[in-house]
Amino acid sequence: MRSQVYEWSNLQTSANQLRRLSTDQPVQVTANREYDIFTGGIGNNITKPAETTATQFIVIEDIAASPVLSGAVQIRINTTDYFQNPDVTNMDGIPGLASPYPRGANSTLDLTSVTASSVGSQNILKSFDLYPDVYVLPGQTFQILYTTSVGTTSTDATSTEVVSCFVKYTLYDGPDALIANKLLELGVTINPNNVDWYKRSLIEQQQRSRVAAAAGGQA
Amino acid sequence: MRSQVYEWDSTGMTVANVVGQRTSIFVGGVGNNITKPAETTATEFVVIEDIATTPTLGCWAGITADTVIRGLIIDGAAGTAGIAGPRSYVQVRINTTDYFLDPDNIPNDGIPGAASPYPRSIDFQPAFNLYPDVYVLPGQVWDVLVTFYNAGAFAAGTSVAGELMCFVKYTLYDGPDALIANKLLEMGISINPGNVDWYKRSLLQAQA
Repeated sequence: MRSQVYEWSNLQTSANQLRRLSTDQPVQVTANREYDIFTGGIGNNITKPAETTATQFIVIEDIAASPVLSGAVQIRINTTDYFQNPDVTNMDGIPGLASPYPRGANSTLDLTSVTASSVGSQNILKSFDLYPDVYVLPGQTFQILYTTSVGTTSTDATSTEVVSCFVKYTLYDGPDALIANKLLELGVTINPNNVDWYKRSLIEQQQRSRVAAAAGGQA
Repeated sequence: MRSQVYEWDSTGMTVANVVGQRTSIFVGGVGNNITKPAETTATEFVVIEDIATTPTLGCWAGITADTVIRGLIIDGAAGTAGIAGPRSYVQVRINTTDYFLDPDNIPNDGIPGAASPYPRSIDFQPAFNLYPDVYVLPGQVWDVLVTFYNAGAFAAGTSVAGELMCFVKYTLYDGPDALIANKLLEMGISINPGNVDWYKRSLLQAQA
């Protein structure tokens, strides 16, 4: 099991770019459009949609976005959005103001001024904690979708804004993924502690069986 | 067992030569270095508990060049617009394997400074906690690699103190503690000072 993060920004040198480059510049993010941070075509992307293999289990523990431009971040598992309105209609997801990235970032960066003096002095802290975690079961595809209802201001790379998105997850692979599935069946929360606890209980069970077999042999 | 830290500062680095490249904070030839690659002997066990690097803040690309925002420099030149700070990432490598991967299982640059900032401040707080810890088993070579993409975060062509930094916190278990750490690993128990002490106590109780 490994702790993993993925950070996305609207910075690129060319469309559908896989690696970050030192020549990256901000590109426009259109208002009210969902951008998949993995394969959305702008910013840094990965080679294929995020998915788990038959021997992988992913637990998404945190998502966050820049607390500017009314940005929000949504999780989609296969075709189902995780966050919904109370009337079960679609929504943009967790607002960047509730789960800011970076933590402590300012929300009132004056986006129409060229002076740094207009940068807000307050530090936005998180109001949202992704608990319970979101499970991506083996064989599922998942997306993290960034949406801003305002959009960045211009198509010009020197006068648009840089926005970011962040996801923290734990990847369980191999035997750890099997244990994660077992914990899911048992209704136990999947986290590194509980996976270790299950391993320990298996080892203890084996030891007890060995002792019992040895005692039986002596009798 | 001993709690240890290593702080790297890129002071004196020729920015243009290193931008976009992975650089070892131990033996990369840039900033402060150590005498040989970091490795564990047969009687050592290292648990890496935290890594961090200089943070970055996205902002408006039109901000005047060489403005300082929250201690980070922003440069309006191509490739640097809208980014205050070095846009740095930190990766852990054990032997030849990178620890942090993208969801497509391809190694990435690692943890962004915006998620795990060093130093931490009111302006820059951590969103990432390295849990579970990273274990470096006896006989393994390990490295911490920093990559930055924003050459505009430096006031001049050569970096000065504090412009790009990296931090690693780890615990070194040596001698009998390393043996106990291996035993805990076999048992599926997290290796931390509390559990090592617990195992010692249980051995003493079994003897008594």
